[in-house]
Amino acid sequence: MSALIDSLATEARLPADDHAEVRRRAHKALLKHGFPDLKTEAWKYTSLRVLEKRAFSDQRPGLSSLPELPFAATVLHFDNGILDATDLNLPAGVSLQPQTDEKLAAVDHGDRAGAFGWLNLARFEQAWQLRIEGQQEQPLVLAISTAEDFHGDVHPRLAIELAAGATAQIIEVHEDRGEGLVNIVQDIALERGANLHHLVSRHSAQSAWIQRSEAKVARDADYRFHALDRGGRLTRHDLAVTLTESGAQAEIDGTVLVNDRQHVDFHTAIEHEVGHTNSRESFRILADGSGVGVFNGRIHIHRGADDSHSDLNTANLLLSESARINAKPELEIYAEEVTASHGATIGQLDDQALFYLRTRGIPADQASALLKQGFAAAPFENIESESIRNWLIGELGQLL
Amino acid sequence: MLNIKNLHVAVNGKEILKGLDLDVGPGELHALMGPNGSGKSTLGYALAGRDGYEITDGSVAFEGQDLAELEPEERAAAGLFLAFQYPVEIPGVNNAYFLRAALNAQRKARGEEEVDSMTFLKTVRESIKTLKMDEALLKRAVNEGFSGGEKKRNEIVQMAVLQPKLAVLDETDSGLDIDALKLVAEGINGLRDGKRSFIVITHYQRLLDYLTPDRVHVLSDGRIVESGGQELSHRLEAEGYAFLEESAA
Ligand SMILES: Nc1ncnc2c1ncn2[C@@H]1O[C@H](COP(=O)(O)OP(=O)(O)OP(=O)(O)O)[C@@H](O)[C@H]1O
Ligand SMILES: [Mg+2]
Repeated sequence: MSALIDSLATEARLPADDHAEVRRRAHKALLKHGFPDLKTEAWKYTSLRVLEKRAFSDQRPGLSSLPELPFAATVLHFDNGILDATDLNLPAGVSLQPQTDEKLAAVDHGDRAGAFGWLNLARFEQAWQLRIEGQQEQPLVLAISTAEDFHGDVHPRLAIELAAGATAQIIEVHEDRGEGLVNIVQDIALERGANLHHLVSRHSAQSAWIQRSEAKVARDADYRFHALDRGGRLTRHDLAVTLTESGAQAEIDGTVLVNDRQHVDFHTAIEHEVGHTNSRESFRILADGSGVGVFNGRIHIHRGADDSHSDLNTANLLLSESARINAKPELEIYAEEVTASHGATIGQLDDQALFYLRTRGIPADQASALLKQGFAAAPFENIESESIRNWLIGELGQLL
Repeated sequence: MLNIKNLHVAVNGKEILKGLDLDVGPGELHALMGPNGSGKSTLGYALAGRDGYEITDGSVAFEGQDLAELEPEERAAAGLFLAFQYPVEIPGVNNAYFLRAALNAQRKARGEEEVDSMTFLKTVRESIKTLKMDEALLKRAVNEGFSGGEKKRNEIVQMAVLQPKLAVLDETDSGLDIDALKLVAEGINGLRDGKRSFIVITHYQRLLDYLTPDRVHVLSDGRIVESGGQELSHRLEAEGYAFLEESAA
């Protein structure tokens, strides 16, 4: 695994700024643990080979384009992964500041499985802290995009804090056209009674897109996550949600589409640390071509987290012979008075349904597109905002 | 309209239809009865072009055209409609969207202009009203979570919107309550215009009382073993299929 250390994480590549202490600590941890390989349990289906073969350039690429969105929003554009924070017009109640070293010094990304987190901490360009108060009507869009000549590595780092009772929608729109590495770390905290709807719509080209989102959810707070991943050469998203106080709740819905030689790996974990916490998760992969889709959904109900409830379901469609899907729920329950249901299926397009549609005059191609679309859209049906729901479902329709 | 000659159909290599003859003229309504497993649905599927329903012998002509050469969607565009005995649930596909896609796909295949959503909605709403269905069903996924009777009525709504030349209705009356049965019968009668033809597969006299079929056929072991007028269905209702075996013996 030293190939990646050599190309990404030599000491000489540590930015020289006033975060030196933080960076050195992260770098040390990275060297100690190394990057994961196929023997690392959480990475056993996702190889970093593509990445190892790359040389990363420091040259500044051309301006990346902003996505067009059919709804009004406050947009933060991370051009080639870097936010230009001058002239930001943030709504009242939303503030953006650099993270303090005190906060960064306390970060723990664990062992080898968290190597990219350490890499981010060693190499981040900026570490931002977004704080949100009150009821935010308009969504905040984090647009992370790369240009065609992007061959570098970029490490966006963002903490998102929702004050007690705050409500917000954060929509990440990730559009990659490059061939580098985008390595995102997000640290999300919902204070009491806060309500966050967090959406990710991602389409990656040749870049490796690695993201780690950790959310802590306090008393009576509500974290909702939707992901639409439209594939990429190497995409890995780790989402870890911790329900830290009673009444906290998490809902995760996602759809992944892979085709050709794309590879997308979603690892989610929901930690029920205390009792009276609820979670629900539904995740779908549609794999076509030689695409590979991985989903690992871990639910961990800690000792003493009695009277907690969780439901995890993953349904998957294998659309070609050379596609692969690894989808696994993983339950660990140490509490009492708990309900935890889970299900996992991998199937193919339903012949009966195809035939039914065709007997109504719908040609075979269109019929299978309709079925795929219907299957892929299901996790978004519960999005209340019609414009956002239709936007995501429309993005799906373009691919299927 | 439909001319079936000596039709042999095998499913998974097993012969189910064993030399079936049937002619349905324009505007006619034929009832097809027969014991469970005799091959009624198989005939419907074979007509609609289901994969794995292999015509091993004989022929089926629809308005002079050899059906075997057409894909299921081409048969639909040519004017053939099958109301399924067990309508299929299609999760995630909106009922109204599906119906409009179907109608427009057929129109496109026939070189006709697509219908706009206003005209379309008007047509669907009328059919829905005739069948006293809840309009909310239009916004739901096709057949998903529909009750048995709702599914059957939804088939008739589709027929009314698609306006086929020949409709094969496979036990559309099974599982309907008495009022719904009457509504479905009205739906069918409303579409009888002297040109459109029907094959109505049923086990019961009740539906036929409303429909007054031109011919009644009995299918047994893959063949039509008896044909007649309405008196035949009355006799079946009274005596069951036992007399067939006697006459066959
Ligand atoms: N895929 C299949 N493989 C093998 N046999 C089949 C298959 N499909 C149908 N059959 C058999 O073909 C025969 C005819 O079935 P079909 O469904 O046409 O009967 P039916 O007359 O419609 O009966 P019902 O009144 O119960 O609806 C049955 O014996 C059935 O088991
Ligand atoms: Mg049948």
